[in-house]
Amino acid sequence: MKYVDEYRDAELGRALAAEIVATVEPGRHYKVMEVCGGHTHTIYKYGVDDLLPANVELVHGPGCPVCVIPMGRVDDGVAVAHEEGVIFTCFGDMMRVPGGDGTLLEAKAEGADIRMVYSPLDALRIARENPDREVVFFAVGFETTAPSTALTLMRAKAEGVRNFSVFCNHVTIVPPLRALLESPDLRLDGFIGPGHVSTVVGARPFEFIPADYGKPVVISGFEPLDLLQSVYMVLRQLADGRCEVENQYKRVVPYDGNPQALAVLAEVFELRPHFEWRGLGFISHSGLKLSEAYRDFDSELRFAVPGVRVADPKACQCGEVLKGVIKPWECKVFGTACTPERPIGTCMVSSEGACAAYYNYGRFARERVVV
Amino acid sequence: MSCDADGHCVTCSDEGVPMRVVATNAEGLAVCAGGVEVMTDLVGDVEPGDELLVHAGVALARLGGREADG
Repeated sequence: MKYVDEYRDAELGRALAAEIVATVEPGRHYKVMEVCGGHTHTIYKYGVDDLLPANVELVHGPGCPVCVIPMGRVDDGVAVAHEEGVIFTCFGDMMRVPGGDGTLLEAKAEGADIRMVYSPLDALRIARENPDREVVFFAVGFETTAPSTALTLMRAKAEGVRNFSVFCNHVTIVPPLRALLESPDLRLDGFIGPGHVSTVVGARPFEFIPADYGKPVVISGFEPLDLLQSVYMVLRQLADGRCEVENQYKRVVPYDGNPQALAVLAEVFELRPHFEWRGLGFISHSGLKLSEAYRDFDSELRFAVPGVRVADPKACQCGEVLKGVIKPWECKVFGTACTPERPIGTCMVSSEGACAAYYNYGRFARERVVV
Repeated sequence: MSCDADGHCVTCSDEGVPMRVVATNAEGLAVCAGGVEVMTDLVGDVEPGDELLVHAGVALARLGGREADG
């Protein structure tokens, strides 16, 4: 398929891997964080990390929107789903995220009307078809997904659909990155920036990383060759003594983002003072809620949302995994008490989660060439 | 419960998918291969044959074969 096949060529991949080996400084250990869960998935699925020398370590960042949802928000969603007359809609992976009191899938088994949708537009369609029911959409995701929720709400408002509301859990990517960079136990050499978030926000918002923290950033596409080239570009910057934001994914990402998308986000959402992240705690100005103009569509105002706070399970080390402090297999419950079938932590739920990706594709620590 | 054979949910993973426009419908949506309906508010008017990067029912960008910054 066009735009796909040319970025999966094995020979080009091996040539890039050789360039990477030629670029690394012998004896130096490099840690490069891929921010986005989609990148994590590609890395494991295609074995991208197997092509890297052992002293180039990929660290998996907080960019899986499912993995960062705190348990309390799941419990809040379950509570709304159990309300009389509610049809509760969400993306597939959210159904299996454990709250403090079970998952949405378990709530469905108990009789709540919970339906999987592929987009918020599907949820709005369910609302139109069921005018005597209240349809709630559990919105999660970064700036990639938030425009879809925003455009759906604009349609709902224009059409006067009164029985549709959004339980908003959208988050923004820059504040958690800044929080990670401020974390004293983190040592990273550079970042592979999120390609599709950047389609919306552009590459410019990441300039603070080289400017304030002295680390290179390369915005990357999602095919295996995109990722290999981006790793090479980060290492090249380090070898050249450069430190800047580079855009490997120019075929899709404009440096200043998509102005229409940014305009709809600004109209429909506003920043919350703070928002809780799984494993990372509360981060200022990192979450979105509906703006004043859309308050009539806010599930948190329409329903009695309990506002549950649940501490992460003690055995679960998702926080350390999300910060790249430990590898998934170093977690005490990885693959034993915590599996994709019965996840304890959110990183084991979505296949973009670092733990589930390791589990599914068998990427355990292995011998690799040290340069 | 996931969206493809790998157990990979492209919606949850913030990942865009290349899609080709087949038609437009009365709701003002683009219909892509496989019958997927897509909002095109962020990329302007589309025609059958256009290639789009789609995420969660929204076209985030055109795949025009040229670099986004020109």
